[in-house]
Amino acid sequence: MSDNLFNNSLWFIPMALVAAPAVAADYLSIPQAQQLLFSSQAQFIERPTLFNGDAKDEIKHKAGTRQRQDQQPIWRVEENGEFRGWFIVDDVIGKHEYITYAVGISPEGEVLGMEVLSYRETHGGQVREQAWRDQFKGKHLGQPFKLDEDVSNISGATLSCRNLLDGVKRLLTIQQLYLAKDA
Amino acid sequence: MKTTSLKLSALAMIITGALMQNAQAGEDLFGYVKGAESLPKDAVELYQKVTVRDGKSIGSYQGIDYETELEYGYSDKFSVSASAKFMSLDAKGLSVDGYLPGDKNIGFKTSGAELGMAYMFLSPAKDDLGLQASLSLDYDWVDKHSGYDKDTLSLEMGLQTQKYMLEGELVWVGNMAVEATYADRAAINNLPEDFDWPTDPEMEIELKFGTGLSYRFAPNWFVSAEVLYETEFETEVGQERWSWFAGPSLHYGSANWWATLTWLPQLAGGGEQFDGQDTDLHLIEKTEQEIRLKVAFNF
Repeated sequence: MSDNLFNNSLWFIPMALVAAPAVAADYLSIPQAQQLLFSSQAQFIERPTLFNGDAKDEIKHKAGTRQRQDQQPIWRVEENGEFRGWFIVDDVIGKHEYITYAVGISPEGEVLGMEVLSYRETHGGQVREQAWRDQFKGKHLGQPFKLDEDVSNISGATLSCRNLLDGVKRLLTIQQLYLAKDA
Repeated sequence: MKTTSLKLSALAMIITGALMQNAQAGEDLFGYVKGAESLPKDAVELYQKVTVRDGKSIGSYQGIDYETELEYGYSDKFSVSASAKFMSLDAKGLSVDGYLPGDKNIGFKTSGAELGMAYMFLSPAKDDLGLQASLSLDYDWVDKHSGYDKDTLSLEMGLQTQKYMLEGELVWVGNMAVEATYADRAAINNLPEDFDWPTDPEMEIELKFGTGLSYRFAPNWFVSAEVLYETEFETEVGQERWSWFAGPSLHYGSANWWATLTWLPQLAGGGEQFDGQDTDLHLIEKTEQEIRLKVAFNF
């Protein structure tokens, strides 16, 4: 390294000092999200599901989005012995890191609600706002699942919004293909 | 400046419409080629770029370019930027007729300024293919190749395309640009005998094409490869130079800052060469390799 390069690289030091502090990342635990999406009397029975290659291909074919994980964390939800639906935790790709979210799905295959457990991206913290997440309520597989048609886009976080929308469609597909018959 | 050059530059600008890069857009996965995604409204990004230009086959040559840039998202689709440029240069044992009169050592000095703007027509994350146009105006008062005084005014127009694949784990970008440059060298006293150092203003047109592929191999980390082709035309000599560069990048991105390190060797080149050059590369205005580090902070 030349003297010029070394000396003038010190230029970076004041730049580092003005870097903004890191934003919070993890907002909700799984039990907290469960309480938000279902009633406080609900019971959550773990039913983790392992997908083989054929199952992942089938999900990709029907949902249009890859099923990356082999293992999907799923809970069957009951209240006073009555079936209330499914609680599923999932990761989708953000611009930098995975976005962890949870979805409640009714026995009929409709979204009861969506909660964001962790979000670490530069822009788009609005995905955690109630008004944005409420757009997912009632969604079912018969709908288009297009950004700015089903759900509004958040500028600067378009990839995150699209992947969350595609992720919810994929979870509804899993419910229809592999969970509905167990209800 | 020749009439033919002016006509050529006007024609190139019209045909190309609106091309290329240099002072815009958000996170850079690559060192040179740019994506097509703009900053959102009211977002601010501060960049520091350092580019080492190294090697001309004989003697020793190392130029270092520094650029500090501030970009602001005026709207969700339109961003503006301004940058200040600095340089250092250490050249020994190298005299290139018409370009480098002899040894030169510059520790660190201001060398130019640039204004830029970019407009995103299609979003890569929402539409099938992202498309952005950019425009930049660059004024330099020092020739970064030789370190001697030279007023240079350049207008660059570019187009960037970008495609997300595998939900964003794989990113493809394509760039093209045209740059029209007006340059006027200052006279130098005590030049070597018979050394050619034209001081009449000249006009040049440069065309740039680039493409790159980037893969996110772990959260926050991308590895990329990019290829650049650049060629320049000048009235007196027609195609003055051309060169192919290609190389890898490593990128780290987080919520508040990102950095990209790129190594870009020249693979092939042609056009004008200087006496004593022992490779087929174009090494008068270009070097054997470039190394670029970019660090940026989001606000």
